[in-house]
Amino acid sequence: MRAAQDGDQSAYGALLAEMLPILRLFVRRKWGNAQDVDDIVQDILLSLHAVRHTYDPSRPFLPWLLTIAYRRIADAARRSSSRSSYETTVDVMPETFAGGEPKSGQERSDDQAAIQQSLADLTTGQREAIELVKVQGLSLKEASAVTGKSVASLKVNIHRAVKALRRSITTKT
Amino acid sequence: MQPEELVKILAADATPVRRLSPPMVRLVIWLGISVAYAALVVWLMGLRPDIASKLADTRFAVELAATFMTAVLAALAAFCAGCPGRPIWERYAPLPALALWILSLGEGCWRSFAAGGTEGLSFRLDFVCLPSIVLVSLVPGALMLMMIRRGAPTAPITTTALAALAAGALGATALRLFHAQDASVMVLVWQFGSVALLAGLGALVGRRLLPWPSPGVASS
Repeated sequence: MRAAQDGDQSAYGALLAEMLPILRLFVRRKWGNAQDVDDIVQDILLSLHAVRHTYDPSRPFLPWLLTIAYRRIADAARRSSSRSSYETTVDVMPETFAGGEPKSGQERSDDQAAIQQSLADLTTGQREAIELVKVQGLSLKEASAVTGKSVASLKVNIHRAVKALRRSITTKT
Repeated sequence: MQPEELVKILAADATPVRRLSPPMVRLVIWLGISVAYAALVVWLMGLRPDIASKLADTRFAVELAATFMTAVLAALAAFCAGCPGRPIWERYAPLPALALWILSLGEGCWRSFAAGGTEGLSFRLDFVCLPSIVLVSLVPGALMLMMIRRGAPTAPITTTALAALAAGALGATALRLFHAQDASVMVLVWQFGSVALLAGLGALVGRRLLPWPSPGVASS
């Protein structure tokens, strides 16, 4: 470490490589989740690199290293506990609906056959307007160019068609 | 990224660093500048007129010495706390001086009480102490902050609390030399209280003032 402080890169690299298993073991012992071990070890490496000038060559190296390691593990624990206070870990994603009631309601409105039937019951003009504007998504102007009808009459047709569809679907179900 | 790759990146970034001086050396530097500044403030405010007789009074001398020693030992402890791997007991070094300071003030309170009953403990507002202590501890505190930021934040809360205690106690020492306030209960509440308040504030901002420095290498 003394050589590393003086800028000896190979000595520093060798020292850190030698310390890696010790750090891993140390973190694994203090930290339950094995997935996070490498992340915390990297945190420790970055921290010790940032404060490498604080090592006093006249004192033993390991206490210096492990104090930093211990501190970073404690910081990680604090981060993770503040994160988990607004996160919940689940094994199975919770269902968005509990019983059969709302689901059957959705199925009713999704009843394709009923919608087809209701559409078939509309007048030709109404059906054409609905298909172009509401199903294909054309603008009123485009629909007017396609059908040759005025925008106003398309609007009336759509309005009447929606009313008729609503009526026929609610009476059918 | 694997830690092994990070080791290579860090090793390649290992430029020579200037070692942190031993805590004792840093203490001498801090004391030299801070005491000079405190002396300047005392000189500007004017020494209290009865200083000669006060210094001859053992009780006053003990209290003054305890206050000053609290500042010195707290500063030393703050510098030690910034060096990872140093023994924990060093952080408690200022406690004996702090205890002596409180004891001398407590003994003073007791004497006033014995002499004049609750009258002797009469308590007034004193708006000089806190601002004066803050004024004197401003420069030592700022210098202390600069110096402890060079260390490692392995104990940020303790470090800043000790640093604020050191600066505050130095301020209290200077205050005793220019502010003629001798009722122990007043000194206890307003002077010791101010120092305790500063130390508490120091503890509160510890994590913010002493974050882990980013190593300055590309983390990608």
